[in-house]
Amino acid sequence: MHKTLRGFLLLCAVSLALSVIGPGGLLPAFAWDDDDCVGCHGDPSIAEEGGAYLYVDPARFEQTSHADVGCTSCHDSVTDDHPEDDQRPSRAGCGECHDDVEAEYAESSHSESADCTDCHNPHNVRPLVGVSAVEVNRTCMECHGEEDVVASHGVWLPQTTLHIRSMPCIACHTASEEFTVTFYVESVTHGMSLDPTASPATHDQLMAMANEKEGVASILDGDGDERISIEELRTFYQKAKARDMRLWGMMTPEQVTHDFTTLDNRWDCSFCHARGPETLQESFVALPGPHGGYERIPVESNAVLGALYGSPDFYMIGATRSKVLTLLGALIVLGGLAVPVFHGTVRLLTMRYRRREK
Amino acid sequence: MEEHQEKIYLYPTPLRIWHWLHAFSIITLLVTGAELRFPEYVQLLGNYKASVRVHNAAGIVVGVSFVVWFIYYAFMKRNLFSIYIPSKEDIRHGMVRQALFYGFQYFRGEPNPHQVTLDNKFNALQKTAYMGVMLLLVPLVVVTGVLLMNVAFLRDMVLAVGGLNFLIGLHWLLACAFLAFLVVHLYLSTLGHTPWAHFIPIWTGWEEVEGHPKEDV
Repeated sequence: MHKTLRGFLLLCAVSLALSVIGPGGLLPAFAWDDDDCVGCHGDPSIAEEGGAYLYVDPARFEQTSHADVGCTSCHDSVTDDHPEDDQRPSRAGCGECHDDVEAEYAESSHSESADCTDCHNPHNVRPLVGVSAVEVNRTCMECHGEEDVVASHGVWLPQTTLHIRSMPCIACHTASEEFTVTFYVESVTHGMSLDPTASPATHDQLMAMANEKEGVASILDGDGDERISIEELRTFYQKAKARDMRLWGMMTPEQVTHDFTTLDNRWDCSFCHARGPETLQESFVALPGPHGGYERIPVESNAVLGALYGSPDFYMIGATRSKVLTLLGALIVLGGLAVPVFHGTVRLLTMRYRRREK
Repeated sequence: MEEHQEKIYLYPTPLRIWHWLHAFSIITLLVTGAELRFPEYVQLLGNYKASVRVHNAAGIVVGVSFVVWFIYYAFMKRNLFSIYIPSKEDIRHGMVRQALFYGFQYFRGEPNPHQVTLDNKFNALQKTAYMGVMLLLVPLVVVTGVLLMNVAFLRDMVLAVGGLNFLIGLHWLLACAFLAFLVVHLYLSTLGHTPWAHFIPIWTGWEEVEGHPKEDV
């Protein structure tokens, strides 16, 4: 081929290639994806270099709904030259997506003292059922010290420590009307102390009891039907006793609001301590995942009472009384009533006879 | 008609105060206890928290009065066993004799085989019943109540005795036994020569013993 023609064709090929990959071409410009971000920010050493806030636990972040929208959805000003450009990428405001929550929160007294991120880490945020009630309380107690909480509630709330240990703060300090009983696996030592910030057993601790192939759920859900029967609870307790484990029941709300209001009915003990809400008869066991989140498995329908036989530490006075014991007690009382009824009847029938004798 | 003129001072004032304080507290405990266990059916105080507080207060009164009663009879009067523990004679013959009286002889108008004296206030069945109530039922209900009032503080003990569920169940059954006893107690109190004959002495202290001796209660 002629040299000039060969040179022309080469120039055309290079121009075509540049037009394809270059700016405005068929391929986009460089863009950060989550793997790029996590490549640096998921390495714990970044915290030592630039501060703890730079570290994002990749496993935990992956479980959040924020991972679905991607890092640059919130940090959209990040440049191709990051971090050499020395510019801190922008951070989206929570209200850009959660505007309804932000508006509700803005009306609450809490908004004057805490921002969203003071309670929620956007890189480790989970839905309500994915958080243990103890974690919720631990967050609250970062500002509201445990002693202050016990002291302020102790003025009116009987069994204060037990109450605070048995429900998340948001059970009363939100407008949720529906509750369930959620059991967490704990070591007995933690339970004895009633420490409101004591952690439930970790995934690793439970895996030591579990079938490795079937995962942590197998410690309770033996048949793998994603439902825990009373029999399975009993079986669990037989194994757990030897390992100083037990179930700790907490009353957890099904919804949360961000107005932090305390509804009038929360001052009425019978709101919880009565058989009222049907949802209270629902119970779950919440088990920790390998990366901190929780998954809950329903306990056999209407089985709170039955579950209690496997959970000797859980009792909600007035709400979870045993039908069997109620019946047994009634029989004892009837036994007492039988004396005046039968003796009194014969007494009345023989009254005339005794008068005659006198 | 038989006269009932001879009277003995059977119940001294401290004992009567103790009895009525105890009775008032027990009834309070039963009523508030029913409200605590069945809040959707029993709402006498109309406030659950008030029921908790009143129940706890009445429980403390019963606990303290039990300790006072025990110290009074066991260490000051030193006749706890003679009054409340059935003797061999009571076990061999007294119980059957008394049971026959309640079951048959009473209806025929025959006199009570037990003669009340200052040293022998209770018949064999009364001794057995009071022994069970005062030396078993009351201590157990007080101990379970104290544990339930201090679930957090006495956590180790609560778990050691079987957990909260067991304690609640036991406390409930003991309360039912108390109610059953109360019903029988009140009914048997009407078996004197008049229906009020046995209620008056525990109020005034004076018991009529001539002719048709005091019985029951």
